[in-house]
Amino acid sequence: MKKKTIGKSTILFLLAAVLVGILIVLKESVICTASEQNDHVIDSLSDLNGKRIGIQTGTSFDAAVREKMPEAHLEYYNGKADLLAALIGKKIDAFIVDEAVAQILIRESKYVVYLPEYLDSYDFAPIFPKTRDGEQLRNQFNAFLEHLPEGTLDDLSVKWFSENEADKTMPDISRLEAKKGVLKLATESGYAPFEYMRDGKVVGYDMELAAMFCEYSGYGLDIIDMNFDGILPAIQTSKCDFALAGISITPERAESVLFSKPNFSGGTVAMILKENAEYNDSFWDSIIESFNKTFIRENRWQLFQKGIMTTLLITIFAVLFGTALGFVVFMSCRNGNPVANIITQFFMWLIQGMPMVVLLMILFYVIFGSVAINGVLVAIIGFTLTFGASVFGLLKTGVGAVGIGQYEGAYALGYSERQTFYKIILPQAMPFVLPAYKGEIVSLIKSTAIVGYIAVQDLTKIGDIVRGRTYEAFFPLIAITVIYFALETLVGFGVGRISVNINPKRRKESEILKGIKH
Amino acid sequence: MIRIEHLKKSYQDVTPLKDVSVEIHDGDVISVIGPSGTGKSTLLRCINQLEKPTEGRIWLDDMEITDPKTDINKVRQKMGMVFQSFNLFDHKTVIENVMLAPVDLLGKSRQQAYDTGMELLKKVGLGEKALNYPDQLSGGQKQRVAIARALAMDPDVILLDEPTSALDPTMVGEVQSAIRDLAQTGKTMLIVTHEMHFAKSICNRVFFMDEGKIYEDGSPEQIFDNPKGENTRRFIHRLKVLELDINSRDYNFLSVVGEISAYCSRNQIAPKMAKHITLMFEEVMRILVSGMNDLSIHTVCEYSEQTEVAELAFSYNGPRFDMTSTGDDLGLSILKGLTEKNSYEWLENSDYPNLLKLTIGR
Repeated sequence: MKKKTIGKSTILFLLAAVLVGILIVLKESVICTASEQNDHVIDSLSDLNGKRIGIQTGTSFDAAVREKMPEAHLEYYNGKADLLAALIGKKIDAFIVDEAVAQILIRESKYVVYLPEYLDSYDFAPIFPKTRDGEQLRNQFNAFLEHLPEGTLDDLSVKWFSENEADKTMPDISRLEAKKGVLKLATESGYAPFEYMRDGKVVGYDMELAAMFCEYSGYGLDIIDMNFDGILPAIQTSKCDFALAGISITPERAESVLFSKPNFSGGTVAMILKENAEYNDSFWDSIIESFNKTFIRENRWQLFQKGIMTTLLITIFAVLFGTALGFVVFMSCRNGNPVANIITQFFMWLIQGMPMVVLLMILFYVIFGSVAINGVLVAIIGFTLTFGASVFGLLKTGVGAVGIGQYEGAYALGYSERQTFYKIILPQAMPFVLPAYKGEIVSLIKSTAIVGYIAVQDLTKIGDIVRGRTYEAFFPLIAITVIYFALETLVGFGVGRISVNINPKRRKESEILKGIKH
Repeated sequence: MIRIEHLKKSYQDVTPLKDVSVEIHDGDVISVIGPSGTGKSTLLRCINQLEKPTEGRIWLDDMEITDPKTDINKVRQKMGMVFQSFNLFDHKTVIENVMLAPVDLLGKSRQQAYDTGMELLKKVGLGEKALNYPDQLSGGQKQRVAIARALAMDPDVILLDEPTSALDPTMVGEVQSAIRDLAQTGKTMLIVTHEMHFAKSICNRVFFMDEGKIYEDGSPEQIFDNPKGENTRRFIHRLKVLELDINSRDYNFLSVVGEISAYCSRNQIAPKMAKHITLMFEEVMRILVSGMNDLSIHTVCEYSEQTEVAELAFSYNGPRFDMTSTGDDLGLSILKGLTEKNSYEWLENSDYPNLLKLTIGR
């Protein structure tokens, strides 16, 4: 027992050392590659033809790149923090953003600049479901835009695009009078200055505009933050009433959703590496700076706290319900009931064969598509199903490992089938089941990382949100990895305790002979 | 006590029990013997319903066990079972194995169950192993615990299914003596066993099972010393039998000799004995074939593993022909040199009126 503890802590220590090593190598490699001399100076958009251009997945910027620079190689990334890291790491030569974002990026990172020349101009507009209600709301929004006093939109952009964060006040949306109900607004908070997370709330140009609209029309507002990829399905299935997320108007999108009149017009630009940028930050300074940005600034640690709670909540409930589900299903299939077995086999095949993201999306947008249901609840349901399937499999293996002789021994003494299972078989199956069960829980914690797709802000999504705000590529990722490790160790330890306690051969003599004089 | 009527058990491709009807009396200690695959274990397992009989009915006293309305768990509490593979609960200590069922099923207090359990364990010589787990015990010790576990329920009947077959030969004795003690207590017992001497020494009744039924049922003296049935006799004397029919003068000599040597090696008959059997067969056949025209011979060779003696019987048609008195001298001298005993009989009105019996000793 003692030996084992030492072994475990040694392993944990080694892991921590490896993590720090990775951190150092990543940081250094980024700086080294960035400090190499740039051979081909890029002065204009035409210089980018034939180069590698980064595009954020889900945006419509790639069409313009294809048109203007037909020989460019497009590479797709998930967020701006990734694009920035790729550019600095020279995985790409440029990436496309809109000018408002570009202005923030050059303030956040001293290694990059953007070409002033517009690649394309675009119009942003809110989107609405293609339904009667959606159309009505769209018309209301258009009326609101028309009645806005001259210059209001310009004032709004001046305010949110400025450098001074203190000026960027956001109206309190909880004060809105919901005379005609509450509107659900879908957005993706990784898109400063249009929408981003500050002090645990989604703020930004789009958010203030939405708040103004709601105040004007007499609605309350509920902002739902999700992955950009999730916004279109959320509107198409009327999960949300409208979306403001820097969505540019394209004919393709207009086929599936309704656009209002544009509320913002701008241009896209190409972000490139600055020539002869100075890289003189010390390693520790940059770590401290990253830590500061990730956790301290705007009290972002509170976001992480919430993310951890959400991840734990989903995991714990999925483990509890999944275990119960797996057990109940196992019990009904155990006696070879053919109907139960066929149904179970079908669902096992369905659930285990389906990528988790797809299962969650189907649950959220299709099965519970028209029901007002919390994403966390859907996540718990989804993971309960998959975890239940795993528990079923584990029980099948574990109980199967107990020999037929144990059943016969019990039956011959006069135990009923039920008593035999609970008293004789299950206790012997547990030692086979528990180690794998522990593994399943750990992998469950990790697999909850995808719930961002259904608007749940778990630990990973918080990491993404913070990255979208700080444009730190690695630090938040490594930070959440460390947190995941901590959670997994904690859970592993807990289940480990149970398996020690449940092992009948670990009992002391006094426990075996409890209440007996001898 | 136990009454069985027309019990039949068939599986998809075999029918180990075809038709068993028997009555077992209170206090009977019954050895169930017979060749393997003749349904001995199946009979035991049908009695406590671990196997559901295909047909037939079984009563324990006035209660019909085979009636679906009977609570079989209650019946099983009155019938202890000891398995070939022990089937101790591996996650429980020895004393817990013995205490578990009395506490759970008979409602005894833990103290009561412990006291009885320890007494039983001491009786089988395992009082000191009470807190060990089954995997820390030898096979013989496990089986003695299993006996104590069965006794802890104070059953009316104890069924022992080949209790020593899975044991190392050195451990058979300790388990047999535990069973012997048990037999003397007057409990009704059924033991399936292959140990003939043991069976003979403890029981007051023997079931010889063969051909899917109780082939012969009698006292140990009757079954072991004076078996009536042909199969019983062969089994008791552990006879290995080869039967050959020769219906033509031009029979395939080589293939018949091949059959004999295959029979010898299959039954691990010593090479010298095998040689003698073959030689004897050759000589007799040579003499018979030379002396007769319309040949039809039925040969039975029985080799007893117990006494290591082989007996060859030749029945043949035709006129009276006693080769022990007539025949060629060389063949006869070989014949007489090898046999311990030979006899000739003339059976009137038989298809094969001539019967020649030759005994080959060690």
